Amino acid sequence: MKTWFHSWRAAIRIARRDAWRSKGRSSLVLAMIALPILGVSAFDLTYRSSELSPAERVERTIGAADARLRDAQMGGVPILQDPAGEMHTPAKEPQDGSWPSGPTDVTKAIPAGSTVLTDGTGSAKLTTAHGLLMTEVRELKASDPVARGIMVLLDGRFPEKNDEVMVTSHFLETSALSVGSTLSARNFDRPYRIVGTYELPDSLKADQVNALPGAFLAPYGKAVEKAGLPAPDTSVSYLVRKPGGFTWNTVQQINTKGVAVVSRAVALDPPADAEVPLFQKDGWGGNYAASPAARAAELAAVSTVVGLAMLEICLLAGPAFAVGARRSRRQLGLVGANGGARSHIRAIVLSGGLVIGIAAAVTGTVLAVILTLVLQPVLEGVMGQRFGAFDVRPLELLGIALLAVLTGLLAAIVPAVTASRQTVLASLTGRRGVRRSSRVLPLIGLAALLIGAAIALFGSIVTEQFVIVAGGSAIAELGVVAMTPALVGLFGRTGRWLPLSPRLALRDAVRNRGRTAPAVAAVLAAVAGTVAVSTYMASSEAQKKAEYTPLLPYGVASAFVPEEGGRDVPAVREAVQRAFPVDVRADVERISVGKPGCSQWEQGTGCGRYEVIVPPANECPMYASLPGGADPSEKYTPEQRRKMLTDDWRCKTSGSSGMYVSDGGLLVGDAALLKVLGVDDPATVKALADGKVVSFSRALVDEKGTIGIKQITDAAAADKAAEEHRPYPGEVDSLPAYLVPGDKKTYGVQALMTPATAKSAGLATVPLGVYVSTDRLPDSEQRQKLDGELAKLGSSIELHLEEGFVGNDGIILLSLAVFAGLVTIGAAGIATGLAQADAEADLKTLAAVGAPPRVRRTLSGFQCGVVAAMGVILGSAAGLLPAVGLRLTEERSQIRVHEQNLAQGWSGDSPLPDLPIVIPWETLGGLLVAVPLGAALLAALVTRSRGALARRAAT
Amino acid sequence: MSTQQPVLQLQNLTRVHGSGATEVHALRGIDLAVYPGELVAVMGPSGSGKSTLLTIAGGLDTPSSGRVIVEDTDITAASVKELAALRRRSIGYVFQDYNLIPALTAAENVALPRELDGTSARKARVEAVAALEEMGLGHLADRFPDEMSGGQQQRVAIARALVGDRRLVLADEPTGALDSETGESVLALLRSRCDAGAAGVLVTHEPRFAAWADRVVFLRDGAIVDQTVRSDADSLLSGQVAEA
Repeated sequence: MKTWFHSWRAAIRIARRDAWRSKGRSSLVLAMIALPILGVSAFDLTYRSSELSPAERVERTIGAADARLRDAQMGGVPILQDPAGEMHTPAKEPQDGSWPSGPTDVTKAIPAGSTVLTDGTGSAKLTTAHGLLMTEVRELKASDPVARGIMVLLDGRFPEKNDEVMVTSHFLETSALSVGSTLSARNFDRPYRIVGTYELPDSLKADQVNALPGAFLAPYGKAVEKAGLPAPDTSVSYLVRKPGGFTWNTVQQINTKGVAVVSRAVALDPPADAEVPLFQKDGWGGNYAASPAARAAELAAVSTVVGLAMLEICLLAGPAFAVGARRSRRQLGLVGANGGARSHIRAIVLSGGLVIGIAAAVTGTVLAVILTLVLQPVLEGVMGQRFGAFDVRPLELLGIALLAVLTGLLAAIVPAVTASRQTVLASLTGRRGVRRSSRVLPLIGLAALLIGAAIALFGSIVTEQFVIVAGGSAIAELGVVAMTPALVGLFGRTGRWLPLSPRLALRDAVRNRGRTAPAVAAVLAAVAGTVAVSTYMASSEAQKKAEYTPLLPYGVASAFVPEEGGRDVPAVREAVQRAFPVDVRADVERISVGKPGCSQWEQGTGCGRYEVIVPPANECPMYASLPGGADPSEKYTPEQRRKMLTDDWRCKTSGSSGMYVSDGGLLVGDAALLKVLGVDDPATVKALADGKVVSFSRALVDEKGTIGIKQITDAAAADKAAEEHRPYPGEVDSLPAYLVPGDKKTYGVQALMTPATAKSAGLATVPLGVYVSTDRLPDSEQRQKLDGELAKLGSSIELHLEEGFVGNDGIILLSLAVFAGLVTIGAAGIATGLAQADAEADLKTLAAVGAPPRVRRTLSGFQCGVVAAMGVILGSAAGLLPAVGLRLTEERSQIRVHEQNLAQGWSGDSPLPDLPIVIPWETLGGLLVAVPLGAALLAALVTRSRGALARRAAT
Repeated sequence: MSTQQPVLQLQNLTRVHGSGATEVHALRGIDLAVYPGELVAVMGPSGSGKSTLLTIAGGLDTPSSGRVIVEDTDITAASVKELAALRRRSIGYVFQDYNLIPALTAAENVALPRELDGTSARKARVEAVAALEEMGLGHLADRFPDEMSGGQQQRVAIARALVGDRRLVLADEPTGALDSETGESVLALLRSRCDAGAAGVLVTHEPRFAAWADRVVFLRDGAIVDQTVRSDADSLLSGQVAEA
């Protein structure tokens, strides 16, 4: 034990000084190992620091209060909640299927003798320097000691009067206002002065305005209602301070009144799961911890990624250690001559890995700590959340750092074994000779390749398990890596007819497989991954393109404003007209029931809706709802269902897929819309002008040639009818209709009438939006201009521009190719360095027989190119396998679903799913041609053409 | 002298490189014994087998037949591991140049065999500094090889070859890369170590340096063609030079 330790000390000393002497190579390897460590450590630090302690979390939620009491909106029935106060459910299962709902009076649940602070939230459309901005308004007396910690004052002061507000720093930035400016809201002419800025430590990106309780939301709501619009929803919770705090028992008592509680005492000392009745209920189990199987799968995935990354680094760094060992061969020989056994030689080369590994671990960890500290504000900004305490977990960092040491050691193992196998005499005399590579390894590799390919094939042909395909491919790929030395040998046979430099390079690479193979394997692994992902992505992109359904005709844009009775529609129409190269503009309206200020889907008081009636005779029997809610399709056999789907027009899905524009696809507009949608049938245009409702759907028109529109004014009664599967109560208007012949593609528009027709039928309309066709597709600048103008309105606007299928994988494919290219050049460069270290004698001989100096350059260029080319060719082949396998698996699973649907009669004569396999030729071409060429040129450029004179120690 | 046990004994040593058409007899039936306090010079033309003799004597190469006995141990039967241990404990080497590990100081270079053998770094260093001082090289202890002259490096190499209990130094043209004056000083050191009890084998083709030896062995085509003791070495050497 003791002797072992002392000889290792000597080995480490030699390795340490050697690493210092060849700084370039050492720092390259160090960077390779340290960078991932830096990334992972920085992630760990950031993650741990952003993880808040219970005390920190409670402070951000309820400030200095003991609890926050909140209405569970369950009509005051007893509830069960989790300790965090985030989830709750009625204590008793509702018997009649109706979920309890409605407000309750929270103040009655507040224990006597408590200090109470209200915290109200609502929203308002505020005027900013740019336009309007929908913003959350929070009424909380932030200066109260009870609220301390919820809002952090950054600048100015807390509001003290009713006409003062403070705003979040993010809002100040978005609105381009400043402290001292006046703030007002749309439809509300009372001005508020901004007296300060604050941040919410948990959501730095929140746009929020803080006012004193009662100062903003109530008067604003009144003003908005006066303008004919529904007042925004508001909610109030109560921050409560009570001597003794709120224990879990107190919380449960308060729950009986239908009130949910966030308690400081409970958060800091949570009850056991057994004491939480909610967790004892079915479906609410425990803390929602992931199942052991899911955790195991996650662990397996993480270890695979870590393992593959380490393998890649080892393959890259290994040759660098081999270069080191080769360069210091004489030194290792001297150690041997002085009694160094093979274990000592191994120890010295391994120590090289250990030294670099430790240096990389220290560098990576220290840099990670420094970077995380320095970049803390930036990281907090990106995450939108302030860190708690800066949390350094030494054990975790040590674990990550150990990975670096391990990687260094693993990378040095093969060079160490190789170096120790050299005889002392060969090392001393610098004799070379072909180093035989293992005969067993390629056989094992071939076996792994065959077994892996068989598994992947089995996975893609017989099963639908992605895991099997991926696992098989991984085994096959490791097999190819193991076979690399043998495969490299095959390349050597092609060399006979090459000119001198490439022939020398190829022969050298093949005869010295020990150093060529790891570099080729490193390139292979990186390229295989890239090719696999690229092929898979290119294939699914081709599939997406084939399956793409346009929402509108090409080049047509639509903009809808469903809210506030379409008040901003005129402004939106103008903005679109100004920003886009408009050809035809079609303004559209919608039928409105109830108050005109209602939003399109609003269900509130005074707001109604309508229904375009499908006559019972036109309903597909499989879908027609039955009283009592039974599934109508169950009456039919699969055979009958399939027949209906193929033969019955009522059951065929309409070809008019597109945007969901309004109830029943009914719009109010003129002939311009027909033009925009590409309907140029003169009879249709005439029918529309004649005051008929033009219908593109056969199902909407009854046998009398009319369309029925039912106005539903009583929303509550309609909901009840829906629960009981009865028709909605309401008045039906029948309008004469014109059924457009043929199956026209109308992108979601099912029926159209002119405003005059609607008016004469007594249907109220409000503006909905605009369709425009364009002369040419708007460019990026025009789109940005429109986005900017629409943003100023502060409304939620549904804007769509149909530009056909737009792939978004290009940038990912490109960055993958660049990554693989860099790895290739790096690995090939290292292998070339190694070859150069070996080739010194050959070059001298070459020079002696009269080779021009540039041979040295071209030789190193070709050496680099040969390694890159071999790796890229093998990697491309190895990468196609998993991609094709995965696609085949997907196809099988989709075909199975399709066949099931067919057998069950859920689908008619739809075609078999077709999953194309597309080879990403651009990526492949770049990898196969550009990368080896680039690597070769780079190596040739950085090699000196004049050889160093025979080196001698200075005497 | 002959009453003592020889430190190195070569018995009927042969070494054949290659086989068939490429067969080369590097050594043919060599018998040689080197005693404590004795410095033996091996001379001969290029390819006569001088270096092969030295590498086999030190266990870096194995003979085709015959025995090599170093301090009672037959090293031809030893394993690779035992040979390494033997080089740490019994045999010291000095080569023509690049003798020292560039990453280690002079003292560390001298201490290396002891450290590899498991001696603690501190103890090995004390021994190494003592050895260097004994040879008048104490001032070089903390210098790295590239901070020393060639002669200094070779003298440190001799110190390393004889550190600890080692009594056999095998020197292969130790003066080959040095000018004659420096070469003399290196040989003087080697001579003094032998006088102090070590046994040395010196391969050289310079008669001037062979004159430092107690005995000169002449090799030609792998066989010993002549041997002479110091008393008549000078006359023999002059004849040899005239022949060459």
